[in-house]
Amino acid sequence: MDPVTLFSIIKGGIVLGALYALMATGLSLVWTTLGIFNFAHGAFIALGAYVAWQFSATDAFGWPLALGIIATSLVMFAIGAFLHLTLVKPFERRSDVVLITVITTLAGSAILENLLLVIWGPRSKQIPKMAEGELAIGGFHLAFSEIILLVLVLAILVGVGAFLRYSRPGRAMRAVSQNREAAQLLGLNVPMYFALVLGLSAVTAGLAGVFIGTIRFMNPAMGSEPLMKALIVVIFGGVARFSSPIYAAFIIGLLEAFSIYFVGLYWAPAVLFFTMIVVLLIKPEGLFGKYQRTL
Amino acid sequence: MSDPILSVRGLSSGYDPIKIFRNISLTVAKGESIGIFGPNGHGKTTFLKTLSGLIDPWSGEIVFDGQRLNRPGERGSRKWRNFNYDAVTRRRMDPKQVARAGLIHVQQGNLLFPELTVAETLSISTTAARGRKGWSLTEVQSLFPRLAERNDHKIRFLSGGERQMVSVAAGLMSAPRLLILDEPTLGLSPKIRAELCAAILTVKETGLPIILIDQDVAFLGQIIDTLYLFDHGRISGRMSREEMPDHDGLMAILFGDQH
Amino acid sequence: MRYDPPIHKTQGLLPLILAFAVLVLFPFVFEATYFRHVLILAFVFAIVATSWDLSLGYGGLFNFAHVALFAVGIYTYAILAKTLGFSPWLSILAGGGTAAFVALLISLPVLRLDGVYVILVTIAFGQLIYLVVVSWSDVTGGTSGMVTLPTLQIGDYRLSKDGRIGYYFLGLGLLAANLAFLYYVTRSRLGRAAVALRDNKYYAIARGISEARTRALTLMASAVFTGIAGAFYAAYLRVASPDAFGMGFLTLLLSILLVGGTGTIWGPVVAAFAVSILSEWLAGFGAWQNIVIALAIVLVVVFYPGGLWAALQELREVADNLRSSAIARLRRRETATREAMTSAQERMLQTSHGLISVADTGDADKPALLLLHGNSACKEAFHKQFRSFADSYRVISFDYPGHGVSANADPEQSYNISAYAEIAEEVLADCGVSEVSIFGWSLGGYVAMELTARDSVTVTALAISGTPPLNMVPDDFGRGYNPDSHLVLSGKQYFSRTEATNYANSATAPISEESAFLHRNLRRTDGRARVYALSRLGVIDWPRQMRILSEGKIPFAILNGSDDPFLNHDYIARLKYGNIWRGAPQDIPNGRHAPFFNQPDHFDLALFAFLEHARSLDMARQA
Repeated sequence: MDPVTLFSIIKGGIVLGALYALMATGLSLVWTTLGIFNFAHGAFIALGAYVAWQFSATDAFGWPLALGIIATSLVMFAIGAFLHLTLVKPFERRSDVVLITVITTLAGSAILENLLLVIWGPRSKQIPKMAEGELAIGGFHLAFSEIILLVLVLAILVGVGAFLRYSRPGRAMRAVSQNREAAQLLGLNVPMYFALVLGLSAVTAGLAGVFIGTIRFMNPAMGSEPLMKALIVVIFGGVARFSSPIYAAFIIGLLEAFSIYFVGLYWAPAVLFFTMIVVLLIKPEGLFGKYQRTL
Repeated sequence: MSDPILSVRGLSSGYDPIKIFRNISLTVAKGESIGIFGPNGHGKTTFLKTLSGLIDPWSGEIVFDGQRLNRPGERGSRKWRNFNYDAVTRRRMDPKQVARAGLIHVQQGNLLFPELTVAETLSISTTAARGRKGWSLTEVQSLFPRLAERNDHKIRFLSGGERQMVSVAAGLMSAPRLLILDEPTLGLSPKIRAELCAAILTVKETGLPIILIDQDVAFLGQIIDTLYLFDHGRISGRMSREEMPDHDGLMAILFGDQH
Repeated sequence: MRYDPPIHKTQGLLPLILAFAVLVLFPFVFEATYFRHVLILAFVFAIVATSWDLSLGYGGLFNFAHVALFAVGIYTYAILAKTLGFSPWLSILAGGGTAAFVALLISLPVLRLDGVYVILVTIAFGQLIYLVVVSWSDVTGGTSGMVTLPTLQIGDYRLSKDGRIGYYFLGLGLLAANLAFLYYVTRSRLGRAAVALRDNKYYAIARGISEARTRALTLMASAVFTGIAGAFYAAYLRVASPDAFGMGFLTLLLSILLVGGTGTIWGPVVAAFAVSILSEWLAGFGAWQNIVIALAIVLVVVFYPGGLWAALQELREVADNLRSSAIARLRRRETATREAMTSAQERMLQTSHGLISVADTGDADKPALLLLHGNSACKEAFHKQFRSFADSYRVISFDYPGHGVSANADPEQSYNISAYAEIAEEVLADCGVSEVSIFGWSLGGYVAMELTARDSVTVTALAISGTPPLNMVPDDFGRGYNPDSHLVLSGKQYFSRTEATNYANSATAPISEESAFLHRNLRRTDGRARVYALSRLGVIDWPRQMRILSEGKIPFAILNGSDDPFLNHDYIARLKYGNIWRGAPQDIPNGRHAPFFNQPDHFDLALFAFLEHARSLDMARQA
């Protein structure tokens, strides 16, 4: 393998990893806080892409992309909070909430995806690129849009991480995730924090969708593959810390990039799923996990 | 007697569909501390959880310092067994409002937030204070010197006694006007236990009224003014501190002479 | 003690036969191919959904690779019948085999996991199978799938001829076979083990159930007919496409399962027909079809998680409540007949547990004797005692709520032993009685002991019959009673005619002119009273009842029928009693579960002697 190929594989893996990190963070945030697995996360990704397209595409509203991203975040936050109220909250006090919400979020995802189809039609769309041009040093190519993507993703992840660690609402959110009853007894507004978490998770998913929409063509089912990847990442890394799925995302991104090179585009996902099953068999709590359900 | 700080009338509750206790009434006068004593598994903890709103009351009323804490009226009938009433009914009591009103509940065997440090836990513990003046960080640290040493440790790495201290400290920083302690000394080593009991006594001496559940009659006698006996989901006796017999005497009242 | 009779002994048989007959006749009445097509799809969905319910509802294993098992059946048929040229019929059977094998593979990672992790690993497995199918395009045709698969034929007759009638009946036959298989499996050792693991895993394992083996076998059993249905589906549509893995199909099946109700066989079958017809009807609306189906899932799960089957049960309960309370209201008018039997005054009393019918001979100067009747009986069961004891005692009895001519009440609050004791207190208070002798029969024996233990009235004598005192519940239940008797019926909500006769024969007396009124009364009892009285045993402090007996402060007698079919007499004799009349439980010769009814002379003598004994003790104490 020559250095240029190796560089482009690693570059591809890191870009994938960054996207996966963004998607997996939202998923694990909900899992650790609400204790549920949100199968509508993939639909959030697609929805984010379509909403951003509506704001920013030249044949729609045509706003600048940065403004479109901010507006998309607001919309996604509202939708995430709304889904919490309709699909999760009615079961909060049931012992089988995990399994019930698997079903409701799956159904919610089907509703969202088909609504996308109804509203925007089946035709593929694309969001304008974040930047044109590329950085070329010798044979090594790095597109500006890829650099912007990496910087933005890192900024978002660092921002969310710092929010959880240092801000008072962030700490309260972690407290709520670790012991719901004790948090209530300290006067924390638990339902509000739950809605906040789902809103935040929807925002990260929506942003991931926007980034994917700038790279690939969009269709209403575009979220299901990223959802599976996010699932692999979360299982692979575990959710012991905020950072565990992020490390895992980059490992999986690189693994995927190398698999594509060695076994081809078709078989690469099979390698990932096989890895996930093996991890579940050997270390169900994830590679970096010791304890489940904490943030 | 002045207005009571807490007045409970005809309270019933349980875990759907089983009623754990029914028709409980008790009054706590301003400045009065009460104890609850009774066998395990007879609904004491469920009763306290209902007081703090963790479990919805089914009927009855809870009035804290003139403020009604639960929504009036009986819980609606749940006639259709398979209908998910949680989806359409509002909760009848909000634990956050209870805490913010100053009725602070320190739970039994509380692990609090295992992945938060002591400092982080205490920093969010002033949420319920809402302008009331609670204990400050330096005050709880001088009450529990161990906590100052453990400031940056995650709670999961603390001993059981230290965790209990964090729980009590968090409760005090919430600016309680009535503090509920549910078996604070359960399962602790004698040394830690003594430390904790001394601290609770200090708290009591600041004039803060306490509702205490404990199995140690001598400790109860130090803290409380009135003792309520609790078995089979009902209050089966009430006595002042002076009338309180020793442990065996209480067991005899609860179980008959055989025990 | 769970009573679960085979279907031909329940009331479910008739609707089942009717439904099957309708489905058999349907294609001859409606000849349109389209209707048959929709029903053939419904058969397939019903098979897949009910099979899924075996692992999901009964086994509690959320196998989200179930849809992939269906696809495995499809591709097995396609590859064997088309590529390799095997007989299509054999290929259909092979579909079941390969699906079961894949299920075995799935069970390997599932064995170590629980809860949401089972969902995740099975989703991953399903995706893995999908990716293999899509990527291995030389064999499976990749994303475009395989077309023009061989069709099924018997000799030269193609099943698709005559408006697909052959496929219709093959599908119906497969559904029937699948239901018979599931019925058998759920009632077998395996099915019971799966349910035990679902409900209380560690207890089940401690009782020797192998978790790994049960999980693997459950998954395989749920795969067999799923794979066969997949192969049949492929043979019918003559295509194999990876669409079968899609979210649309998964959502459809999930909605069938949830709308129908998990943990039952019949609910999903009914829902399969409803949902397939709805889904076909919505097919013209494009994306809205999936939205409506998904919305149906959300609505059912949010508001009514039990689904269609639970709704049917609940409606049946409402109807039965209306029926039994209407009978009670009608019979309330026949006061004169009952007063003629007991020679006591009957009146209705409003208690905290509803309207209660009380019979009272009313001589305030005589000592009071309270008679407490048994499960699904009524106060008139004691009509002979009313007559023989009225000369020396003020005899009082009443019907429990949901029994006799008392009103039906809120089952949660009022259908349990402790509520019956509360009612007894209210009745006695209303009669102005504070000192009472009590005789309790069967369930009434527990009410009597509970009333004594509550200590709100002074009990001067306590006699019980057909009631083994219990200490540890429910363990002592198995020791005190003979579980092979018709006692197993005592907690059953609805009685078939045979069951009602059986229970009344054993619990009261074989049907005769004299006992006919007891048999008639049994059918009036609110079935919920039986269920709740038995499932709310936890409200009683049983050791407290036992303490009353072992302390021996109250004169106490046991007067059992020597031939009581329900009782384990050895258990009753073994218990320690502090002060039991004549030193041991007394047997009424040839008495059955209601000795006071079929051996009244012997019984009355014994009870009379005991009551006199208690009175003499009381007088000695007072003197």
